[in-house]
Amino acid sequence: MSVFQHDYRPYEGPTTALWKRPLVLARYGLAEAWGSKITVGLGVLALLPCVVDLVLMYLADNPVAKMLVVGGSKVLEINERFFLGVMETQCWFALVLAAWIAPRLVSFDLGDNALPILLSHPVSRFGYVLGKFIALTLSLSYVTWIPLLVLFVYQSYASPVPWVMGHLGIAFGMFAGATVWIILLSLIGLAVASWVKWRVIATGAMFAVIFVPAGVGAIASTVLRTKWGMLLNFPVVMSELWQRLVGAPSILPNRVDLPNLAIAAVLIAASLACVAVLNARIRAREVVRG
Amino acid sequence: MNAATDTIRFENVSKFYGEVLGVNRITLTLSPGITTLVGPNGSGKTTLMNLMTGLVQPSRGRVSVLGLEPSNATEFFCNVGYCAQFDSFPRGLTGFQFVLDSLMLFGMTEEDAHGLAAEALERVQLDAAAAHRNIAGYSKGMRQKIRLAQAVAHHPRVLVLDEPLNGLDPMARAESLALFQELGRQGMHVVISSHILDEVDRVSDRVVLITGGYLIAQGNIHEVRQEVRDKPMQLLIRCDRPDLLASRMFAVNHCVEARLHSDGRGIFLRTGDVDQFYRLLNKIAIEGAVKIEAVAPFDDNANAIYQYLIGSDGSTA
Repeated sequence: MSVFQHDYRPYEGPTTALWKRPLVLARYGLAEAWGSKITVGLGVLALLPCVVDLVLMYLADNPVAKMLVVGGSKVLEINERFFLGVMETQCWFALVLAAWIAPRLVSFDLGDNALPILLSHPVSRFGYVLGKFIALTLSLSYVTWIPLLVLFVYQSYASPVPWVMGHLGIAFGMFAGATVWIILLSLIGLAVASWVKWRVIATGAMFAVIFVPAGVGAIASTVLRTKWGMLLNFPVVMSELWQRLVGAPSILPNRVDLPNLAIAAVLIAASLACVAVLNARIRAREVVRG
Repeated sequence: MNAATDTIRFENVSKFYGEVLGVNRITLTLSPGITTLVGPNGSGKTTLMNLMTGLVQPSRGRVSVLGLEPSNATEFFCNVGYCAQFDSFPRGLTGFQFVLDSLMLFGMTEEDAHGLAAEALERVQLDAAAAHRNIAGYSKGMRQKIRLAQAVAHHPRVLVLDEPLNGLDPMARAESLALFQELGRQGMHVVISSHILDEVDRVSDRVVLITGGYLIAQGNIHEVRQEVRDKPMQLLIRCDRPDLLASRMFAVNHCVEARLHSDGRGIFLRTGDVDQFYRLLNKIAIEGAVKIEAVAPFDDNANAIYQYLIGSDGSTA
């Protein structure tokens, strides 16, 4: 029988605010995501188009260089359409990066049964998802709105004519469009990763979630002769949204012209579906009992 | 400090996973000290631990830990340290980072967390060089130690350890048990589930026997053993004339078996009535015919109780 001395003292020092706790998980997540050489490789690859765009902007903004390379042609004009193209490229790179990173953030924890350990801290399931979400959105920001705004700032600096005040809408549009996309990608990525424990399959499933409904939507639109099937087509929906936010003419060959309300509704519905999946899958319960 | 704020309480608690029973109608009060949960695989031990760590919510009933309920997450989780049975860690971390990040999740400042992490690692006797290596390269014993360090680092008042001795070599097991004993003596709640009953038995203040999700028995091991009246109690009596003692004992009908010890200086005796046995033994000792050197119960341990109450196949005996 023990003799209880009652001299054990729990920790009574200062503690940080509750809202800061998910940031610890975000830090974990970032280290986890960028600890892979493939992530770094994809990150570098995703910035290569920006380097090419930077060179094009230099050529467009330098009259001598422009004259030497393209003559008097208007091919190299830095406008809404140019930035829309840059944005679309970066945003699709973000999909590749999300498909690689998201499973590393969640599937590993689920596969290793690490959730009971993490959730036995004063961090709720919401806090856990928020931490991973922050890690993923920060990672995707690095290839989307951050380089896009850097290019915008460069153009503002390099343009030989006053340019920035007349084109502030582009910066806003790129930031808003990229933000909507990375939030959607993060939610889809985390939901898929929480559903599929195997990382490689989760990566594939991420692409399937984006492109399989697109195919189904295209078939439905063709068979039923309606444009509403295109609401299942995320590439088309996002392209329409980006084009409207940046204020550029559509770069799609066949413009669908979906209403803004329908675009907003489909994005909100997709996000809510992801939240429902996360709510069902992120649980501390240990499956094996003993 | 009153009873409610010093105990772990289950009040008519049931937990169902869909149609699968986790635990059913558990009413239990655990005082400070070391409590061992004993039961076969799938008996509901982990469910009971998950309930007291707030990882799952009861389907019915109420769980309170030191007067706190899991809904009060901040205070509740800061008072509970949990060492899961799974060999699971977030990837890519060193042992030190794992404990440090865990402390920061508890809300410790980075400066305090460094100090507490070092203290915890020292407590579980994981050397500094190993602590700064990636956990993926740890042996099973080191992984068990780092899990234990994570569970004790934030100075919880309740420590819940699911199979904490698995994978540890005898020396590490002894060190861990000594640590549990020290924490128990300091007035901490230490709740352990383990299959290594012989070793846990030595440090436990009480056992909770559970099978099929139902509570079978709880309390001090000796008290529980005495309650199991249908199984004769086995005692070892060291004396100078075991043959004479055996013949005297066989004269009364509560003694069902007597076996001479291999060294010839004692007998194993099985009796159906311990009180009568001790009365007779006192009488024999007073008469002086047999010189009694020692009397020790031989089967009032967790292992024997497990066998008697649950049975070797896991079904209630």
